[in-house]
Amino acid sequence: MQQLESLGAGIMTLGSHPMAILLAIVGVALGILVGATPGLSVAMGVAIALPFTFGMDPVSGILLICGIFFGGVYGGSITSILLRIPGTPASAAITIDGNEMARRGEGGIALSIAAISSYIGGTISVMVMVFLGPVIAGFALNFSAAETFALAVFGLSVIAGISAESPVKGIIAGILGLIVATVGLDPMAGMPRFTGGMSELYEVPLIPVMIGLFAMSEAFRAFENSKGSVKETAMQLGRLFPGMSLWRRLSTSILRSTGIGTIIGMVPGAGSDIAGFVAYNEARRFSKTPETFGKGEPAVIASCEASASACTGGALLTMLTLGIPGDAVTAIMLGALTLQGLQPGPLLFEHNSDLVFTLFAGMLLCYLAMVIMGLLCSRVVGRVVRVPRSILTPGIIALCTVGTYALNNSMFDVYLMLIAGGVGYFMQKWGFPASPVILALIMGPMAEANFRRALSMSGGSYDFLYTRPITVVLLLLALFTIVMPFLLSLKRKLTSAKAGSVATNT
Amino acid sequence: MKFKQAIAGLLLGLLGTLPATAQNYPARNIEVIVPTAAGGGTDLLTRSFVDHANKLLAKPMGVVNKPGGGGAVGLTDVARARPNGYKLAMGFVEITILPHLGIAPFKVDDFRPIARINAEPAAITVRADSSWQTLEDFVAAAKEKPNTIRVGSSGTGSIYHLAAVAFGKAAGAEFNNVPFEGANPAVTTLIGGHIEAVSVSPAEVSTYVEAGQLRLLGVMDKERSALFPEIPTMSELGYDVSVGTWRGLLAPKNTPDDVINTLREVSRKVAENPEFQAQMKRMNMTEAYLDAPEFAKAIAQDDQQFGDLISNINLVGN
Repeated sequence: MQQLESLGAGIMTLGSHPMAILLAIVGVALGILVGATPGLSVAMGVAIALPFTFGMDPVSGILLICGIFFGGVYGGSITSILLRIPGTPASAAITIDGNEMARRGEGGIALSIAAISSYIGGTISVMVMVFLGPVIAGFALNFSAAETFALAVFGLSVIAGISAESPVKGIIAGILGLIVATVGLDPMAGMPRFTGGMSELYEVPLIPVMIGLFAMSEAFRAFENSKGSVKETAMQLGRLFPGMSLWRRLSTSILRSTGIGTIIGMVPGAGSDIAGFVAYNEARRFSKTPETFGKGEPAVIASCEASASACTGGALLTMLTLGIPGDAVTAIMLGALTLQGLQPGPLLFEHNSDLVFTLFAGMLLCYLAMVIMGLLCSRVVGRVVRVPRSILTPGIIALCTVGTYALNNSMFDVYLMLIAGGVGYFMQKWGFPASPVILALIMGPMAEANFRRALSMSGGSYDFLYTRPITVVLLLLALFTIVMPFLLSLKRKLTSAKAGSVATNT
Repeated sequence: MKFKQAIAGLLLGLLGTLPATAQNYPARNIEVIVPTAAGGGTDLLTRSFVDHANKLLAKPMGVVNKPGGGGAVGLTDVARARPNGYKLAMGFVEITILPHLGIAPFKVDDFRPIARINAEPAAITVRADSSWQTLEDFVAAAKEKPNTIRVGSSGTGSIYHLAAVAFGKAAGAEFNNVPFEGANPAVTTLIGGHIEAVSVSPAEVSTYVEAGQLRLLGVMDKERSALFPEIPTMSELGYDVSVGTWRGLLAPKNTPDDVINTLREVSRKVAENPEFQAQMKRMNMTEAYLDAPEFAKAIAQDDQQFGDLISNINLVGN
């Protein structure tokens, strides 16, 4: 247990760096704020903080950035739960269930489940990095275009699973998302498609569409409702801590999702957004009560948050051991480390072992700070649910507009967000879920680009679909996931038909 | 008293007659548009540059990120801005590429160059365990089996893709060009052993070259790279190819001379500042300051080269 000793030494070193500890905590607080603000992505928060780390010592600088990274992934859940605005794409997966819980008066429980699940997922993934880092790091290198394509297909396959009400409507929404995802620059040939000559449409506008579909549509619906009920009772936050029985029920979900998240985090180009949705699907697959999903199921928050946070450890693992960033945030962190004169990669652990373990100790501290802050703040930020709808709704509209504008400093994005809000309003009215659209917008371009890249790398041969083990496993998993919900509903129909016939016989 | 008032009035009158952009520039904050997302190389360079420039300017510069369309969105914004010196761009080599690809609504002469800050050459890098020890080995292998050596670059029509094409032309070899979402994913795929080479800059691969995972074969420049002085240049090896990216400050065309001169002076002072140079070095960026006239010449050369190259190759449906 050489790692344990090194980690102990790391904790000691960190103890003598009060400035680094302070900055780590400041970073977590900033991260939660950035994550909770719609339109401000974690990557953006990290990028803005980066210049401030130029003059700091390596430990302080890196821990500030880690704090923002970790806090940001968790922070997105706060606005998702309380306001139904996904703060980050990763928290889109919990938005419906989280907000339904808040409406039931269980917002406090939802917030603490999010904080504690994030803490467990994040801490375990950091521990995996500490003990197994160099051993399992090579896994990420197996991922080439073919494997990434298969992962994206697997990601797309959960669409039917996350559409609890009606898998068919979920798939229709997903296809709508895939169609929208073809707008922009062709990922391989670099030519514009369906852009109507507007260079603003060269990239798939994920965040404006997400804010529009989830939050703006809800605000539009609130207008409709306010006419009917003049006297509206505000929501209650409810108690903050769920009972032990709930925890026992959630613990397997959390552990399973932590594993999923750590692995997805290690894959280059796949981040917490994918991890969140995949964890949702797996939680539902293994649940005894899949019908409660989409109606305020605590297991959704537990699994998605654990998975999204576990991604951070996975992404950091490949970044530190191989010098390969797992997602956009670790790509910026790679730059931060280089600026500090550290070269991430195989030599980092040999040359700067002391420093690396001090950083690991700091990361564990960041997660500790995150859960404490998250739980302490719940009571305060939770007050927002007691604001009457007539005041809250205009506030949400303002927040959506400002957040969308801040993304690229562009009014174009605001118009897109408003259009998406209108579309989302009707989708909600007619029972089409919004999550599949977001999932398709994330995975569609990833699947297309990597499929065509794999084809280009194989010289036009389709062999890569069945000759590469990881690709085959992921594609089979995808097939299984697509077929499952239909088989289940068929089985349910059959049994209910039987029950029906039995009933008529008696 | 009357005399003093008269003098004051006269002075005020004189002030009024001064052109709005003369000595009093900048009278308000200057926006510097970065056409990429926050956190990338161009963004970091601009933030560092602006930090130092603000110590020399009467009113500060502020960085605004306008990403999208490979830079087309932000660059279009500046090309169409009022030419008064209050909206500038941290431009890059793509201003000479995007118009030829027909995906940008601006032309290269819509910009007036102020100063080039940084430049990186393209280079050919292979895995350290590959059998190609020199560029000659690599070219020979490519000639033997055309279109089989997979060269990763940062996207179709990107500078490093054009570099691979230009190198292929100069060497008389054909490669299978595989575009990625950026230089880093291409390098990752090379390390994983799924492609044979990349055509990105030495700065993008330096970590892995130093760790002994990758090998640089040649740099597409006339002079040797400051990062790797032991690696030969393409012209030394007998291939007439010099392709690279650059970053520099641009203003909309028709920006008045006095404004441009103020900004040139500030840029020169920042570029010569050892603190700024040290920061660039730490970011693995090569300092390559050029004043406006030389910068304009370099842009014209690039425009010519890429125009020829793009019309020669069929980029659509590649």
